[in-house]
Amino acid sequence: MSTEAEILRKKLSELISWERRKRSEQILAGILFYALLATLLTLPFHSLLPLAISRYLVPILAFFILAPVFLIRQRWRLDDTARAVARVDKTLRLDERTLTAWELLERDETRAAALWVVKEAGEKLAAFDPRALLRRNWSWQARLALPLLAVWLGLVWLGVGLQLDRVAEFSASKTLAQKLREFSRDLQERAKVEGLQQSLRVGRELEQLAQKSIEAKTDDEKLKTELAGMKKQVETTGKSADQSLSGAGSQQDLRDLKAELEAARDILNMPAAKGTEELGKQWLDQLATLPQLKRQFDLQNQKGGDLGHNDLKSFLDKLEKQATGELDRRTLLEAQQFLDQLMKQGQKDRGESDVQTAGPGKQDLPEDNEKTSNRSNLPGKEPGKREEGEPSLPNFPAGAAAHVKGLLGEGNSRGLELKGKPSAGKSDVSQDEVIASYRRQAEAELNTERVPDGLKETIKNYFLSLGIGEEPK
Amino acid sequence: MEEVAEIKQRMERARRSFDELKAEMARMIVGHEELIEQVFIALVCGGHCLLEGVPGLGKTLMVRSLGEILSLSFSRIQFTPDLMPADITGTNVLTDDPSGRKVFEFQRGPVFAHIVLADEINRATPKTQSALLEAMQEQSVTVGGKVHRLENPFMVLATQNPIEMEGTYPLPEAQVDRFFFKLLLQYPSREELARIADLTTAAAPAPLHEVVDAAGILQIRQWVRDVPLADMVKDYAVRLVLSTHPQRGPSDEGVKVAQKFVLYGSSPRGLQSLILAAKARSLLDGRPNVSFEDIRIMLPPSLRHRLILNLEADAEGVSAEKIISEVLERVPEVL
Repeated sequence: MSTEAEILRKKLSELISWERRKRSEQILAGILFYALLATLLTLPFHSLLPLAISRYLVPILAFFILAPVFLIRQRWRLDDTARAVARVDKTLRLDERTLTAWELLERDETRAAALWVVKEAGEKLAAFDPRALLRRNWSWQARLALPLLAVWLGLVWLGVGLQLDRVAEFSASKTLAQKLREFSRDLQERAKVEGLQQSLRVGRELEQLAQKSIEAKTDDEKLKTELAGMKKQVETTGKSADQSLSGAGSQQDLRDLKAELEAARDILNMPAAKGTEELGKQWLDQLATLPQLKRQFDLQNQKGGDLGHNDLKSFLDKLEKQATGELDRRTLLEAQQFLDQLMKQGQKDRGESDVQTAGPGKQDLPEDNEKTSNRSNLPGKEPGKREEGEPSLPNFPAGAAAHVKGLLGEGNSRGLELKGKPSAGKSDVSQDEVIASYRRQAEAELNTERVPDGLKETIKNYFLSLGIGEEPK
Repeated sequence: MEEVAEIKQRMERARRSFDELKAEMARMIVGHEELIEQVFIALVCGGHCLLEGVPGLGKTLMVRSLGEILSLSFSRIQFTPDLMPADITGTNVLTDDPSGRKVFEFQRGPVFAHIVLADEINRATPKTQSALLEAMQEQSVTVGGKVHRLENPFMVLATQNPIEMEGTYPLPEAQVDRFFFKLLLQYPSREELARIADLTTAAAPAPLHEVVDAAGILQIRQWVRDVPLADMVKDYAVRLVLSTHPQRGPSDEGVKVAQKFVLYGSSPRGLQSLILAAKARSLLDGRPNVSFEDIRIMLPPSLRHRLILNLEADAEGVSAEKIISEVLERVPEVL
């Protein structure tokens, strides 16, 4: 074999290795692109996967499914070698010398004309470097693979698949189990905030039942049977709950009572309130500003001035336990009613609307609870400071309810229910007492998770805007 | 290695001969460099050419000059409607032999020359035109049951006028197919016309020098066939030829044009001409092998007379040239 032929063989070998490597890279990039594309297209269905980590495995799985198809279809063939050699001729403008020489070498041609071609090709390719001359030329799939990867990671990070799933879930008509789960979660949340242990337990059991039913895709009729059993259990639990608080009034009254109890504890814990006489005096003064507590105090014929620190403390503890027990009982009763309506759903048309309106904490909401623009829910120029020339707050008619709602941005928000100040002549409680009472309630609410951080300042400002900075003494 | 050096020398000789031929021709013929090259290629490939052009473009002068430069015998036949086959091939005449006996002796016709100019070939009747068939294909004529070999190399250069169609007999397809190339003579440019005026109205130029003789031509003819051709290049030529067929070929735009306007595509002779011509071109260009470019350049003269167009093409004024250019555009070199 001549020197030129050896050079030619070596260069062709280098060329083919390089071209095969480029092909492999292109194939892998192409597979990656199509795997990511398939992943993105199926993103809405990823939430159906059993494990959360499965979402990250989807592109890998798609990659390995597509890989054999691409690797077989685009495998290196003899024609590819010929094409690669022809590309060298085009690039170096060799008039197909390399291509002809390669074929002649393959055929082991020994004619003088053939040897001349091989010699010329060998000479021309002596300084040929395939890596420098035939650089990578990425296909559009390869170019889009990385941006697509970034898009996918972004969507996964934002949880778009799950959100889509939730949207789909909400857009579809809710099944009984879904409604039950929703109710049970609300019930648990409320029970946690208010410290209702029985309700919390029932809420958990209801959620377990709902989740089990959703996963097993139990039909509504079967679920109703299970709900009947659960209802009995709730009924039993409700009966066993403490119910010794007489004249408790509405649930709101009970919540007010609990807030007032907290305020009363603060008075007891004050350092100045250690002496019996002074404590009794302070106690009676403060009791006037705590209407619910005062009512209970009167009902149980307690003489505040005669009670010592420990007596008052045990009285408050007992009262709080009773109030909590009563709230727990009533909440269980609500749950029982909800289950009752849920079981009736489908039997009558209004069942669904009943269930929707009978959600926890919603039955007391007024019908006109739409968010409207008024002075109390619009931000002022300077929070907490009354603007000059502005009209004073309108008088709230007795019995009407006002709501301070989330005022900025979107998302879930909870309203703080405040009753308006009473009209003159219709109440024996002074305005100052009422405001002070509500202020305490508001402060108690502010310390709970139910009030968003962004609204706490607004609520404080609202009370400041009422013009009463301190509690009446 | 000695063989390689020897063949390199041969190639160099062939290229030098061609360069000298071009230089000599340029003394007599203004322009038409491409045409001269293609005529020489046809000659070294053993083919015949059909020259088409309006009168006065120097067809006859070119052929005669070629004969002189190549030191080959040259004869001209002016085709007319009353021309008989025997006027071309020759005939047996009654003569006295040395002993006084009456014998038939074959009187050779003008076809017995290395280069035959069949001027205005489409003016003769089909019968006379057909007399050239055997000569062109078999390089022999048969008269009175006796086969007479023609000169070697033998080349027919037929001319026809594309304008005057009255009183003409279009060449039968079988005869047209036997022409290696169909060459079109273009009207000279302004500068070329000025040079023609200078050349033909001044003193007669010096006689032409002989560049290569018959033996040299035959040797080059042998070398042409030795030029290597890559399978991929050959495949490109095959695909080009197949693309001219309305019923066959890859499904691309070129075929669509062929399907619409071509009645019959190129014959296998078209492919033979194409490949041989490409080999000759690479040889005369001093290259050791055939390139895609050779195939592309040799495609129009090889195929333009081999495409039989339909009435639709005639009605829409679509020429074979247009179809070939479409085919060249659509068919990729490498699949």
